[in-house]
Amino acid sequence: MEIRIMKNILDRNQNKAKEVRDMLASKKVVMVNIISSPGAGKTTLLERTLEEFNSKFRIGVIEGDITTDRDARRLQKFDIPIVVINTEGGCHLDSHSISKALDSFDLDNLDLIFVENVGNLICPSEFDLGEKFKLAVVSTAEGDDKPGKYPLLFREAGAVLLNKIDLIPYTNFNLENFRTDLRNINAGVPLLEISCTKGDGMKEWFKWIEDQI
Amino acid sequence: MHEIRIAEDLSRIVLEAASERNLRKVTGINISFGQLVQIVPEIFEFAFREIVKDSVAQDARLNIEIIQVKMKCSKCGTDFRVEDNIFKCIECGSVDLEIINGKELFIKSLEGE
Repeated sequence: MEIRIMKNILDRNQNKAKEVRDMLASKKVVMVNIISSPGAGKTTLLERTLEEFNSKFRIGVIEGDITTDRDARRLQKFDIPIVVINTEGGCHLDSHSISKALDSFDLDNLDLIFVENVGNLICPSEFDLGEKFKLAVVSTAEGDDKPGKYPLLFREAGAVLLNKIDLIPYTNFNLENFRTDLRNINAGVPLLEISCTKGDGMKEWFKWIEDQI
Repeated sequence: MHEIRIAEDLSRIVLEAASERNLRKVTGINISFGQLVQIVPEIFEFAFREIVKDSVAQDARLNIEIIQVKMKCSKCGTDFRVEDNIFKCIECGSVDLEIINGKELFIKSLEGE
């Protein structure tokens, strides 16, 4: 006997993500899902961004971390609401864990929530968290071939940050190849070329994120 | 690694459907994965086997269909297959596209007795 099911396997995640998205929209809170490999600079990006915006916007952070709270501790100095989600080995966050984390925020008093997903370019791309947009962060030290290897993330990202551009002279990273690869996959996505440690391009990034709020 | 979570969600759907219909045994599961979701079938199958051990689905055959990436041009309406990760209309060159196939994580049906 054949039983027709015709169903998205991740329906449960998708439905919860939709609920989260509608709820955040009604509260006028913008949630950004930051996705990168380990070590691309997500936490440093958050540090720089919080330094710039902490007095201007009300910001909360959800830290996805496999087992530690190291990233969250780096952000404690900003005195903002932070929730850590330990995935206990899991390689991505999902909409149910985000929904639970959001319960501990006072959403009426927040403008912006950054979700630092678990460092990984494949798995987090498939799990909608209910974010307004995904932000792909990639660093020059990882090589210029990332868009072609992980097309889904770069196709769906609301913006792409290329971090550590100050390191280009010390690597074999080819900026033209990276740009061409990215443009083939997603011609219209904003690409911001930055260095979180040296400050290059950060003004453009701050302006871009401010325009989204 | 996302294979594990997707296998868990699949097994939940399968076991629920099997129990609703009082199946003694699930013999086959027909699923489609889009190319963009980058599932490795061997890892998926391995994870699924572990999860459904000792259940009615433990011997189910997994029939996995991989679906190519297909887009529709919003300007000229052409449907085309994406080759080499170039998301650009093959007729008019527009990059204003809608995805038709390639992101599926889909269960079509199951077979059982």
